[in-house]
Amino acid sequence: MADTLLSNVTADVAMELPIKTIDTNLILYIVSIIIIAYVISYLLSFILVHVSERIGWYRTSVTMTIPLLKLLVYMVALYYIIIAVIEPSLTQMIAFSGLFGAAIGFGLKDLFSDIVGGIVIIFEKPYQIGDKVTIGDKYGEVKDIGIRSTRIQTPADELVSVPNNTIFSQPVTSGNAGDLAMMIVIDLFIHPDSDADTAMKILKEALVTSKYVIISKRYPYTVLFEDFPFYKRIRAKGYVNDLRLEFEFKSEVTRRSWAELKKAGIRPPSIVPPSADMSGQSPATIL
Amino acid sequence: MADGEKAAFAGNVIGIEREIKEITDAIERSGSGAPPHIAIIAEPMSGRTTIVDEIRRIYSDRVHYLPLKFVINQSALPDFSSLPGDIILIENCQFLTTRVIGGFDVLDTFLHMQITSKKIFITTWNTYSWHYLSSVMNIDAYFPTIVTLTRMDAPLLKQVILSRYKSGEIRFVDGGADERAMFFSVIHQSVRLPFTATEISVPWIKLNFILILHGLPRKKRVQISIEDVIFEKINRIARGNPGVAILLWNASLKDNAISLSAITVSSYSISLDPDESFILSVILSMESLHAKDLSAIAGSEMDIERVLYRLIQQGLVRDDTGYYSIMPFALGPVTEYLKKTRRLW
Repeated sequence: MADTLLSNVTADVAMELPIKTIDTNLILYIVSIIIIAYVISYLLSFILVHVSERIGWYRTSVTMTIPLLKLLVYMVALYYIIIAVIEPSLTQMIAFSGLFGAAIGFGLKDLFSDIVGGIVIIFEKPYQIGDKVTIGDKYGEVKDIGIRSTRIQTPADELVSVPNNTIFSQPVTSGNAGDLAMMIVIDLFIHPDSDADTAMKILKEALVTSKYVIISKRYPYTVLFEDFPFYKRIRAKGYVNDLRLEFEFKSEVTRRSWAELKKAGIRPPSIVPPSADMSGQSPATIL
Repeated sequence: MADGEKAAFAGNVIGIEREIKEITDAIERSGSGAPPHIAIIAEPMSGRTTIVDEIRRIYSDRVHYLPLKFVINQSALPDFSSLPGDIILIENCQFLTTRVIGGFDVLDTFLHMQITSKKIFITTWNTYSWHYLSSVMNIDAYFPTIVTLTRMDAPLLKQVILSRYKSGEIRFVDGGADERAMFFSVIHQSVRLPFTATEISVPWIKLNFILILHGLPRKKRVQISIEDVIFEKINRIARGNPGVAILLWNASLKDNAISLSAITVSSYSISLDPDESFILSVILSMESLHAKDLSAIAGSEMDIERVLYRLIQQGLVRDDTGYYSIMPFALGPVTEYLKKTRRLW
């Protein structure tokens, strides 16, 4: 009974919808709207990315507007396509969106959950373009937040597309949360007989004299010591001034520290703890 | 000190009277307790030497003057207790450190000697070195009085420069009214932050009301003096740095005459890689560094010759018989670039 009623209502609404005749012109019109929307969103993102590269300190503030602008462009395009095909009244629009929703629910569930994920990312900002993030087991710099997926460039220069609905099911870690500076943890393992004070002084000075470091009240640094049965660990935490240089920073501080440690007669331990790098984990998990 | 004497020196130190007073007050206040050590912080060429000369003049019988010209090592530090005078005045204290591992040892020793001494230490520092050392080792804690030289405004600069000439000696040539169209000028105001004792210099837009009124119809034509426009232009190019402004003034002055068109500014489009930016920031914060110190700071990873060649070639740095320093007119653009790329914090 209910089924018959529903089908009658939908049939009525569908009959009343002033759907325009679909001819070549209309198809060309729709195709051109899609192309224009794509070109505008591509240009916007291209221009803003280039502007952001020149702007220095506020790089991420510019890139964070890209996904929002893209969403806006596609919404406008969708609006023009709908009014090109039909000329709906308010009731028809509501009925149409109901039908549309049902279609989405059954057929395009995943696609639309990605789009909703994209909208959530844009407004909630768990990460922004330019951030160093770990989503699931993937670590890298966010290059683009699209409507359906987020593109991450890994340290090995792979471009990974992560579906946007991942944020509903997986934890997301952002190393810098929109900032250009990012905290980096540098561990040095030394022989248990070594003089920890000297080693800490050397690592501290290697950190603060690094060409990649930024130190201020907002970006403090610290050097910590911990004793383990077969080695001593000296850990430095400091901020790199541009997150793209995180590995250069780490490598520079480590290299200069070891050169100085060797001069001071400090040796590496005989047993080295397994590093997260070796077990294939992302660098961000070594915290 | 007699009042007459105080009035006499006030004329020679236009623009830094407040700083001189702060320093003399701190010295006069010093009683039996711990001596009030003073740090004078300023950008390169912004009048540190003037202030130092003035202090030497005021306390000529009490001051022992020690100017540092290059990076010094541990053995070069004198025994301050054996030096004459109860005020030790050390210029360019940024030379007590080098940005290498172990480069803070001399400064550590110096600070230890300073806080255990009964003498008053007056030290001058480059702003950027000071900020670095303040972030890295909290050097502020050793100096109860910190005097920061702020940027100058055009009227003050006019006073400073014209005080060097007799009245009417300089001719200001009017190059046409259209060149005077400057509706606003940038000035630097000192603002004391609430809840802290620190004072910061904030760039501020000052509207030129006279000129705006002049542009309005049916208003009486108010003539703005060409002198003011010239000093406004010089100060804007020099970004409030008196040393650079005086150099620019000297370069633009021909036969005791100056015109707006004679004041030319070289433009810089700076594009540097991380190594070049780093070395440039080191040179800026040390003011003058010898090639061997630079190569120690650069380390084995960096090709310092290539970096220095690139910096000199872009007109940012000059080589003065092995000592490298920033070109005076590039000072403003270099500082802006390094701040934008977060090399100066």
